[in-house]
Amino acid sequence: MHLLLMIGLVVFSIVSVLIHDLLKAAISLAAASIFLALIFFRMNAVYAGVFEVSVVAGLITVLFITAIALTRSDENVNESKYHLFIFPLFFAGLVIIDVLVMKNLLGRIPAISSPETGSFGDVLWKGRSFDLIGQIGVIFAGVLAVLALFRPKGKSAQGDKHE
Amino acid sequence: MIFLFIIIPLVLASLMPLLGKISKRFLPDLLANATMLFLLVFSVIYAKPLIAKGGIIQQAFWFGTPLNIRLLVDGFSLFMLFTISLVSLAVTLYSIDYMEHYGAKANYYALLLLMIAGMNGLVLATDLFNIYMFLEVAAVASYALVAFGLGHDELEASFKYLMLSAVASAFILLAITIIFALTGGVGFGAVAAGLKMLNIKYVVGFCSALFLMGFGLKAAIVPFHSWLPDAHPSAPAPISAMLSGVLIKVSGVYAMMRIFMNVFGLTPALTSVLSVLGIVSIFVGALAALGQNDIKRMLAYSSISQIGYVVLGFAIGTPLGILGGLFHLFNHALFKSLLFLNAGAVEQSTGTRSLDKMGGLAKRMPLTAATSAVASLSIAGIPPLNGFWSKLLIIIALVQAKMPVLAVLAVLGSVVTLWYYLVLQRNAFFGRLNETWKAVKEAPFWMSVSTVMLALLCIITGLLFPLIIRSWLQPATDVLSGGVGVALNFLGF
Repeated sequence: MHLLLMIGLVVFSIVSVLIHDLLKAAISLAAASIFLALIFFRMNAVYAGVFEVSVVAGLITVLFITAIALTRSDENVNESKYHLFIFPLFFAGLVIIDVLVMKNLLGRIPAISSPETGSFGDVLWKGRSFDLIGQIGVIFAGVLAVLALFRPKGKSAQGDKHE
Repeated sequence: MIFLFIIIPLVLASLMPLLGKISKRFLPDLLANATMLFLLVFSVIYAKPLIAKGGIIQQAFWFGTPLNIRLLVDGFSLFMLFTISLVSLAVTLYSIDYMEHYGAKANYYALLLLMIAGMNGLVLATDLFNIYMFLEVAAVASYALVAFGLGHDELEASFKYLMLSAVASAFILLAITIIFALTGGVGFGAVAAGLKMLNIKYVVGFCSALFLMGFGLKAAIVPFHSWLPDAHPSAPAPISAMLSGVLIKVSGVYAMMRIFMNVFGLTPALTSVLSVLGIVSIFVGALAALGQNDIKRMLAYSSISQIGYVVLGFAIGTPLGILGGLFHLFNHALFKSLLFLNAGAVEQSTGTRSLDKMGGLAKRMPLTAATSAVASLSIAGIPPLNGFWSKLLIIIALVQAKMPVLAVLAVLGSVVTLWYYLVLQRNAFFGRLNETWKAVKEAPFWMSVSTVMLALLCIITGLLFPLIIRSWLQPATDVLSGGVGVALNFLGF
């Protein structure tokens, strides 16, 4: 079952990278995310699974589709065709390394990690307080970036004169 | 109290857009500069005495309530805080006049303050995941700042920077995940103790390679440098100064060296790889800079070259090498910020960045020309300016560590540096004044204050280098040369 879910995740991820149509790529990414969420659920990482489904598969897909709907399609874009063979080459290389090396390597390691203790809330609020400050910083930065980059252009288009 | 280094810029950044509604220029200018001045003074008066007996871990409080936030104040982190605050102050002073024509000044300061909060958080972090988190805060703010001009070039450069930075983040996160899976912790002390107990050098080697790629991309070491020559020139001049002056050093060099030296321990293999990457960066950066006609692009390639010296210094691993690396890091923060700020002044006055079109500007912009000459001579390693001493320390350390070939190559790299900075000076400031620039005026007051301040610092640091070494660099060197023992004894909580 795990293997099937993994194959689903990998196939949809590859499709979302290689497909030309943005809308289909976004939907394919959402499908990959659902497979990932199922893997999380099966591995008892319930909170990660819930976030994966609600935020990545749900919210972000909605945002992607909205953004795609708001933009004009431009058929004249000439995309390089290199990615069509470079990407599968890298992917094959990664799979080979993974199969040959990683399982063997990680299997031999006497890991000393212990199962997570404490509830999700405890870990997040009490254990990782400093990360929450960083998280607030990232969200602020995102909001301010949108405010700055979508401001009325006015006298600000200095950059254009360099060319 | 050390928590203020993060919380003040963070809180002020969130208030800035609102303050911008009340006062478009005055309040944002005043508050941003006051914050930077406060942080600089705070790092000297409050934080410096904290490391008198080695480093401490300080618990953060929020109105008297202790938080589960522990911050690391030792020689290395304090030295970085001081460098960040110093360059940030010069940049905010310069922005008072320079950012006038961009508009949205409050938003600009908000993003700048967030970038500074991110860098300060990264430097004070006591675990690997904290480092990743604050790296992202600084990075997200910097993507927006690179694109702040909204022109085609800016947006393209920012997108390229974002894409490559995301790859770097993925590598860093993967390495942290593997380490967490193995040791069950992400704290510096816990990881160092866990790795020592497990004795798994191949996995540590694999994680080191991931960190090297991730932080190497952030530091723009060759071959991970391709984003920098686009991103740094495209940003507004003060942001170029900030990115080249401190961001690549904090999110690249600081994070990498903290992990490699204090958590993993520097291995001979890592030393060799870092030395080779350092020397290759010196030459690729310098030779590419030589062929540039765009003044800011030349400076960007020069940053790659100078980061090579810093990495080379650290890679030697001896106390003298580390001292040289740290000193060059500080010096580069001063003179590269100064050069980018000068390039911005020239661009604002003439409207071009092309060296071919300039010429004789020293007659019209004497202060800019003089400060630029100081910075160019410093970076090229002319005595008695600061760049000379740091390069000399690195070269002596290379000779002492029995790496004479690398020492000769480092000297050659310095000669190429002198070459392209002389080209820059001759084409931009000396020679006959181009007719087109007859009406050009000197940079406005605050821009000149900022550049003169940095130029004076270059001269003072060069003349008083034993004092700087004793008070700021030696404590930082002690932390790094203490190796894994530092994390095990002092950070093991």
